[in-house]
Amino acid sequence: MSSLTYILKRLLLMIPTFFLVMVIIFLLVRLLPGDPAIAMAGDRASDADIAAIRERLGLTEPMLVQFWLFLSNTLHGDLGRSILMRTDVIDVIADRLPITVFLTLYSVVLSLLIAGPLAFVAALNRGRWPDAVIRTVFQIGLSMPVFYIGLVLLTFLAAQLRLFPVGGYGDTFGERLYHLFLPSITVALYTSAIIMRNLRSAIIEVLDAEYVQFARAKGLPARLILGRHVLRNALISTVTLLGLSIGNLMSGTLVTETVFAVPGMGRLMLEAIFARDYPLIQGLTLTFAVLVSLVFLLTDLFQSRLDPRMRLQ
Amino acid sequence: MMKLRTVLGVTVAATLAMPVFAQERGGTLNFARYDGSRLIDPIYADRNPDIWMVGSLFDTLLRGSPDGNSVEPGLAESHSVSDDGKSVTLTLREGIKFADGSPVTGEDVVFSLDRARNPDLSPWAGLLGSISGVTADGNTITIALNDPDPTILSMLATFNTAIVSKAAFEAASGETDQDKSAAIFAAAAAGVGSGPFYLCGFEQGASMDFCANEHYWRMGSDGKPLPYLEGVHFEIVPDDATRILRLQAGEVDAAEFIPFSRVAELEADPNISMQLYPSTRIIYSPINTRETRADGSPNPLADARVRQALNYGTNKDALIGVVLHGAGQPMSSPLMAKATQYAADLSPLYTYDMDKAKTLISEAGVEPGTQVTLTTLAGSADDATIFAALQQMWAPLGIDLVVEQVDGATRGAKNRSGEFDIHTYGWVNDVNDPSQVVGWLGYTPTAKAVGTGWENAEFNTLFEEAANEMDPAAREAKFARMQELYAEAAPLLFMYETPFAVALGNAVEGYVQTPLGNNIFDEATISR
Amino acid sequence: MSDATYNPVAQNPSKWRQALRKPGFVAGLMIIGFSILLAVFPGAFAPYDPNAIDYLAVRQPPSWAHPFGTDLLGRDSLSRVIWAYQVNMQMAVFATVFALLIGVVIGALVGYYRGIADLIFGRVVDAVITFPFLVLVIAVVAVLGPGLINMYIAITVVGWVYYARLMRAEVIAQMGNDYAAAGIVMGYSDRRIIFRHLLPNAITPVIVYWMTDMALAILLGSSLGYLGLGAQPPQAEWGVLIAEGRNFISTAWWLSLMPGIAIVLTGLGFSLLGDGLADLLRPRG
Repeated sequence: MSSLTYILKRLLLMIPTFFLVMVIIFLLVRLLPGDPAIAMAGDRASDADIAAIRERLGLTEPMLVQFWLFLSNTLHGDLGRSILMRTDVIDVIADRLPITVFLTLYSVVLSLLIAGPLAFVAALNRGRWPDAVIRTVFQIGLSMPVFYIGLVLLTFLAAQLRLFPVGGYGDTFGERLYHLFLPSITVALYTSAIIMRNLRSAIIEVLDAEYVQFARAKGLPARLILGRHVLRNALISTVTLLGLSIGNLMSGTLVTETVFAVPGMGRLMLEAIFARDYPLIQGLTLTFAVLVSLVFLLTDLFQSRLDPRMRLQ
Repeated sequence: MMKLRTVLGVTVAATLAMPVFAQERGGTLNFARYDGSRLIDPIYADRNPDIWMVGSLFDTLLRGSPDGNSVEPGLAESHSVSDDGKSVTLTLREGIKFADGSPVTGEDVVFSLDRARNPDLSPWAGLLGSISGVTADGNTITIALNDPDPTILSMLATFNTAIVSKAAFEAASGETDQDKSAAIFAAAAAGVGSGPFYLCGFEQGASMDFCANEHYWRMGSDGKPLPYLEGVHFEIVPDDATRILRLQAGEVDAAEFIPFSRVAELEADPNISMQLYPSTRIIYSPINTRETRADGSPNPLADARVRQALNYGTNKDALIGVVLHGAGQPMSSPLMAKATQYAADLSPLYTYDMDKAKTLISEAGVEPGTQVTLTTLAGSADDATIFAALQQMWAPLGIDLVVEQVDGATRGAKNRSGEFDIHTYGWVNDVNDPSQVVGWLGYTPTAKAVGTGWENAEFNTLFEEAANEMDPAAREAKFARMQELYAEAAPLLFMYETPFAVALGNAVEGYVQTPLGNNIFDEATISR
Repeated sequence: MSDATYNPVAQNPSKWRQALRKPGFVAGLMIIGFSILLAVFPGAFAPYDPNAIDYLAVRQPPSWAHPFGTDLLGRDSLSRVIWAYQVNMQMAVFATVFALLIGVVIGALVGYYRGIADLIFGRVVDAVITFPFLVLVIAVVAVLGPGLINMYIAITVVGWVYYARLMRAEVIAQMGNDYAAAGIVMGYSDRRIIFRHLLPNAITPVIVYWMTDMALAILLGSSLGYLGLGAQPPQAEWGVLIAEGRNFISTAWWLSLMPGIAIVLTGLGFSLLGDGLADLLRPRG
């Protein structure tokens, strides 16, 4: 199968997936107790005010009609108007998306920088003390709650030692790197632990493989073996893992963004849920779903490029 | 230990009296907020983060006096109420301008007040229900009333009657008034208000900038127009701990809504000046008084004796100790904060008395082990503490208190539908008059007496009479009787009053948060 | 791989001996064993009643009487951390075990029958994994109301997918083996082939993932507790305890540090156990 038809097929398969996502989120937000009209008008508004707002928001329409509107508007690229922000959902998301994407990519890069070299060290020293130390430290990183690490880093590195700013996210690229370092490293501590684990076993697997043993026996220099076989395999498995965990990575920003006061999509989602902002919750969820699906697709394509054994199917 | 100032006058008087020497001018104050504004418009502001900022961008015809019990001239240099109480005449100050330099005219006043009392537009229109018409003749404004209204002057000093520019609204894009307002706000340009600042930057959910209005009419102590600051930069930092860290790291100059558990620590910090501004905020818990619960089972709390017992069985001092770390006082009026006009001093209101509580509860025939649910706000440390303390305090009464944590939207819906036993709640006055809070807490038609379902014919009649009572003494007497009735019936768990806790960097002077919560930067300064 | 109709471990006791010589695995066993002990008999280990309030001794620093200090209401922090084992270990089990059971059965069936069921399954899996996980859980908890049982339901609703995906892939791989084909040729019922032959062989990665998932469940549960959507007060839970202490990291550090250590230690225990089991259960030719 050519990669073009493959991509087309994958995109076609996304249609029922997105439909399902839309059904789930539509039903879920309407099952939430509480009412966007009350959330909007405040506890002090009269019942008549609430009724008027419900009418205006189109919440008095039958469910099926509301869903049809949601569906057809979305297909026309209209995600509706945020109840909370009083502007178009698409504009709000366009504002916040780059920040979350930046944060996610930044933490991925940091994770790779941390996990990559250490995984090699651990794998090459398998069973000896450097391996044990590295693995234990990462295990601890894996078991720490994000909200707690965040606060500890803020308290000590930012507020007391003043190495980093506590908040804000900067305007220029350089400023962003500086301001978002702590939130990114917080996420990266967790991600790098997963990557390290996976990378280490991928490297060990290659080192144990017959062809590598053979190459070694033939006296090929270790560096060459590492470069030729290990790197490629390690890369494939890491990309696959990152691709698969992109959803969790992005939803992990929910807590991180709140603790670090970063105005991204995660924090917005939390606010939207608390305000019962139906259009905004729907829009954000769809955006997440589209992003994650695209990353999955890219991962697959990347994988097939790098690994001739993986045929597109 | 605490710098709690019980009389607001001291704070304001101190700020007014202080600048004998030349004031430092310029600089931008960085302010960390707990929540962001969404639309600062006098009539669409319906959440505290919006309401409390209206005064910085817009001006009202009259201004509340420092003690909150009378009014002073604002955009209108003088005002008079006719003898029959059915009309108010005001004279606009000469030469006042909006922030873009265009003049404030009688037409703008008519436009603004018509907008404010239009029930199709403003959720606050009900507060101006007595107005039958507003007319302007040059600088003279006449407000005609259907009935005498003792609150009308206070209302003209309240955020929802602030003056907006008619021209700005006519020029704005959008179909409806609300669209126009949102467009003006989003454009963040000068010209819609005549307050000490204008909005000059806005990032939804992230930050907001105010710039000084060079045409502002009030003068500083140095004889030049206020404000002293060049601008204020607001950042939204929802997490309490992070907000404080940013102040400690010097990234911001002020952080609001400091948790009371941190007050003592910040007071000890030499770089920070911890302020506790007196407020009209009361923390209380509505008790469901309906005969049956929402699920149809009999409601033990329907008996007033049980509600009284819970009030007697609550050790408010201990509660203030663990929740507010001492920075508060028990409610002394059942219906309002001390600082509110006509607040009766009934203290000690249900002083802690376990024997009395036990007697009342056994008279009411409550079975030991009766389960009562306290609905609290999920994620609120204060609510969790309140629950743990109440559970222990009420155990000797045979009350088995269980908790139900919900978010704000769910709590609001439960309050409306009556699906609760007791839930935590709070209130801050928006108007310098007791009628709003008393209507909310006790007058059945407003909101079923804050959702409790309590109904008392005498109370409701008194409330309606007070609405048209022009004689201050007679009006006060009616409010006094309402407070007696309410205290006796105890539809609430009466808890405490809390100040507004704001931590300022040492460079900041002159910032004030009023008892109504308004953030006032008019006379704030910063030394860099 | 040779005949693997039976669990390779049971057949191979020497592997156990080998595993028990690995310090990581042993440490994992000990940590989790002790955690279970604390969870089952918290009263035997906690020095005080975890809910006894003492207004006169709030936020006391660690001392001999209170090794972890006292909290905002003067309750003994050590006792609260110990009683929290009950809740958090429960979380680890109940938030994952139903997802495991449902996921294993569905994954095995889908992997065996393929066809239209597999196509539908694929869409459902895609929909669930493209959904932000935490958002889904928060939304489900908000719909059902906060509390542990609702939290378990919420996590199960989402979590089964991951087990099912693993199981499906493994069953498909096992189908390629001789014994599966032999079973079909010998005319065994589908049920027998799936549950007697395929499942025991395909379950290994699921069990290993389960260990990691239990650690994740504790993290997730405490995140929800931190947001006020998990365990309900006065029940002590590590996330709630950390949330209570978050305002005092620099003044009363013990409030958040101790439950933080408990979370890390338990997570570490599960991870080490998982790694050890992976080695132990890994079929070797």
